[in-house]
Amino acid sequence: MSSDIAMVRLVGVSKHYVKGNETIAVFEHLDLSIVQGDFVAVMGPSGSGKTTLLHLIGGIDGRDAGEIHVAGARIDGLSEWQLARWRATNVGFIFQFYNLMPMLTAAQNVELPLLLTRLSGHERRRHVETALKVVHAADRATHLPREMSAGQQQRVAIARAIVSDPKLLLCDEPTGDLDRVTGDHILTILQVLNRDFGKTVVMVTHDPAAAKYAKRVLHLDKGRFTEKTGLAA
Amino acid sequence: MNDLTLVRKNLFRKRLRAWLMIVSILTAFAIFGVLASFWQALNVGQDVGNTDRLIVVNKINFTQDLPVSYFDRVREIAGVRQVTHLSWFGGYYQDPKNLLVVLAVEPASYMELYGNDIDIPPEAQQAFKRERTGALVGEDMAKKWGWKIGDRVPIASNIFSQRSGSHTWDFTIVGTFSARRLQVNTNFMVFQYAYFDETRSFSKDFIGWIALRTGSPSLNDRVIKAIDQTFANSPYETATDTEKALNMAFIAQFGNIALFVKLIVGAAFATMLMIVGNTMALSVRERTREIGVLKTLGFSGGRILRLVLSESILLAFIGGLMGLGLAMLFIVSVRGRLIDILPSVSIAPTVMLTGVALMLGLGFVTGFIPALSAMRLKIAVALGRS
Amino acid sequence: MRPLFLQVAAVTMMNLKSLPQRLWLSLSTVIAVALVVIVLLAFLAMANGFQRTLANSGSPDVAVILRGGAQSEVNSVVSRDQVRLVEEAPGVAKSADGRPIASAELYLVVDGVKRASGTKANLPLRGIGREGAVVRKGIKLVAGRMFATGTNEIVVGRALQREFAGFELEEKVGFGTSQWTVVGVFEADGSVFESEIWADLPVVQSLFRRDNIFQTVRVRLDGPTALATLKRYADDDPRLKLDVKSETEYFADQASRSHDLVQKLGWPLAIAMAFGALAGALNTMYSAVAARAVEIATLRAIGFGGFPAFVGTLAESLLLATVGGVLGAAATFLFFDGLSASTLGASFTQVVFDFQLTPALALQGLILALAVGLIGGLFPAFRAARMPIVAGLYG
Repeated sequence: MSSDIAMVRLVGVSKHYVKGNETIAVFEHLDLSIVQGDFVAVMGPSGSGKTTLLHLIGGIDGRDAGEIHVAGARIDGLSEWQLARWRATNVGFIFQFYNLMPMLTAAQNVELPLLLTRLSGHERRRHVETALKVVHAADRATHLPREMSAGQQQRVAIARAIVSDPKLLLCDEPTGDLDRVTGDHILTILQVLNRDFGKTVVMVTHDPAAAKYAKRVLHLDKGRFTEKTGLAA
Repeated sequence: MNDLTLVRKNLFRKRLRAWLMIVSILTAFAIFGVLASFWQALNVGQDVGNTDRLIVVNKINFTQDLPVSYFDRVREIAGVRQVTHLSWFGGYYQDPKNLLVVLAVEPASYMELYGNDIDIPPEAQQAFKRERTGALVGEDMAKKWGWKIGDRVPIASNIFSQRSGSHTWDFTIVGTFSARRLQVNTNFMVFQYAYFDETRSFSKDFIGWIALRTGSPSLNDRVIKAIDQTFANSPYETATDTEKALNMAFIAQFGNIALFVKLIVGAAFATMLMIVGNTMALSVRERTREIGVLKTLGFSGGRILRLVLSESILLAFIGGLMGLGLAMLFIVSVRGRLIDILPSVSIAPTVMLTGVALMLGLGFVTGFIPALSAMRLKIAVALGRS
Repeated sequence: MRPLFLQVAAVTMMNLKSLPQRLWLSLSTVIAVALVVIVLLAFLAMANGFQRTLANSGSPDVAVILRGGAQSEVNSVVSRDQVRLVEEAPGVAKSADGRPIASAELYLVVDGVKRASGTKANLPLRGIGREGAVVRKGIKLVAGRMFATGTNEIVVGRALQREFAGFELEEKVGFGTSQWTVVGVFEADGSVFESEIWADLPVVQSLFRRDNIFQTVRVRLDGPTALATLKRYADDDPRLKLDVKSETEYFADQASRSHDLVQKLGWPLAIAMAFGALAGALNTMYSAVAARAVEIATLRAIGFGGFPAFVGTLAESLLLATVGGVLGAAATFLFFDGLSASTLGASFTQVVFDFQLTPALALQGLILALAVGLIGGLFPAFRAARMPIVAGLYG
């Protein structure tokens, strides 16, 4: 593990936001290092900034100070457009609420990231099929989100997140809205993506049972990390 | 799937709403198509034939007549290449309410001058020159009344009477003519001035107006001045101008029709802009989260701008093309009834082109601000929980 | 269970109070309806004003005599002999000194220039007999004096002077090579005659080479049966192939033709625009219902019936439409009522008229607005009333 490549590296990152007249610091001078192939769960009380951390890593929010290196690139300071391009090939997002486009079929939803590439229609369809197969949702390809169960929708969302084959998966409470059984299926898929496909996974969750699926658990509280490895709560 | 599919799906995500917006756009463009085409038809000056013909009328008013001797004198003027004279007959057929356009003309010179506009078969031309009571009838008029070559038709005048006291003249239809171009009117009839002048009870040796063509359009101004100067200070002074200008001046007598058309079309478009603009803005606001997700997927702000703008432009084109189509259907269906007022009405290419430009503009204006705000949307805010 | 009326009132108030949340969309509906009403009322006011001018122009105790079959004065021809016969006919009123109150006239078209657009216009020059001003009722000189017979002097109607350039008092006007001087301005009760230029008949005749040619004769009738008497007289005499009409009849004929045209144009246009406004109204109301789905469903869950939701939605739509209608009527009144315009009349000459908006016409506009509001609110109201509670509560 020590000689592994760092997938995510935060150096002295500070972030605060303004609420009315107050300025509230989310975290200050935060350091973080996640190696390639790791599966990290980030836990902590609500308001601790877990989601903000995820946003910073994924380049969808900016920091106020410090350096952020992800997938070999320094992403703080990149322009919006550069970040968009970077995201398209390097990161896949999975949200708590599946955030599928309601008027597109499952296959069309999964195809969305591929519209940003130069692949032909035929090639795009191939990638979509593959992605849907990995998450065991191939039979739902022509269905609309409203015709699918919660679990199926989340699987389609995961397929969309991996269809461009990104190295990093960022998950914000992926099982927060699912029952225990369905949630376990989802987490299993994430494990497979991590173990068999070598993807680095960073998962924000408040559920200790979900955190058990990760290799490492980080606690974020009052802007500081404390680490509990593996299965301990 | 491609960008177009995505745009289309977004547009029709709420089908009823999309169709309501299309109806709104459709009505505005239908109104535009119809009114603009009517204006175009009135504005017959679009037709090339009108810009190179000059008309000489009595300076007091075009309803006053001119001496027939002026015809020869105008022919003498330098720069005049073809010239003829015409007189208003004031005709009606059977019922005084059935007013017709009937003109007494000098046959040979008339056919020469107007040969570019109307197609008269050679036999008809010969017959018209030969037969004293012969008349040439336009296709549209012949069709309306069911007249055929060889028919004897009595046409009455609501101004003139024969020396016998009767108001009716008998004509023999010796030929029909058709239009060479879409904009040319064929709802009229011409007959021999000689027959008219010999038999009428007053205004002998007088004509209505003179029509001519010069050697080239660049000579027009000079010829106009020369003609009016020739007859200045005589008992019958003349005012000469292009046929187009005279037509426009006549239309203007009804009122500022161009302004009226602009105001109505403007009102319809303003209505549509407000409704569609607000609805687009509402629709984009509803999609804040989705836009955020698209951005996380790697769609750049610029691309999102293009998607939203494409949506409003697609909407504008769907509604606009349907509206113009409706306008065309309407015009074709009323064309028969309007043949007396607007004989050559149709959707002209210029109206189509203007319509397309308007669709583009409309799509842009209604989509621009929502597109801009979608582009600028911060992902963290868009995904936010509230 | 609260009584139905209170439920309806409560929901309606809630709906109206939440209007500001959808301000721009609601505003666009209001303006859309207002524009439709403006278009309709402008047309109606125009038609009404034109109609009024013509209707005011006829007098039932003046008869107009034209050549048989002539549709208007311009096309008529009456000979000197015929004029004499008419002047001596029964039914013609006589002045104090025993002379018949009759005016043989010539009606010619001359060119003028419209002030507003600077474009050419056909103006009527009427050569009147000595009794010309007397035959017609309601003629009043408001400036200058009447023209002197035998001279190139003219008097002009007030409306004509207003709409067309170059007819101020003392100004010289040229028709062809002849010069005329404006010596007076007259009012004629807002009738068509105010759009005319009058001159001495013999002078007009000689200058326009119409010696011994007349076009019409106007006579004052001497009693209620005079018209019938005069008609019979003309019919019986083979030398008089003439039409005898009362002046009111004459102008009524002319008016009906132009009235039709405006009606045929005004209402269809307004209805076409109304469709656009209707689409907008439906859109607004459906959005309103969707935006308030949670509220509506909650109320339903509490126990309010579907009917209050129905009424509340419909009330909102009708309110927006009414505001739009009133706005449109007010705007039309402000910008169009009293606006002077002129157009080509049936005699091929300009008729000056005012746009005239009346309460009755404004009501028509309001009804159109309400129709849009009703249809625009009806279907969304149904949706609000029948919304499944669970779907509304949970989106």
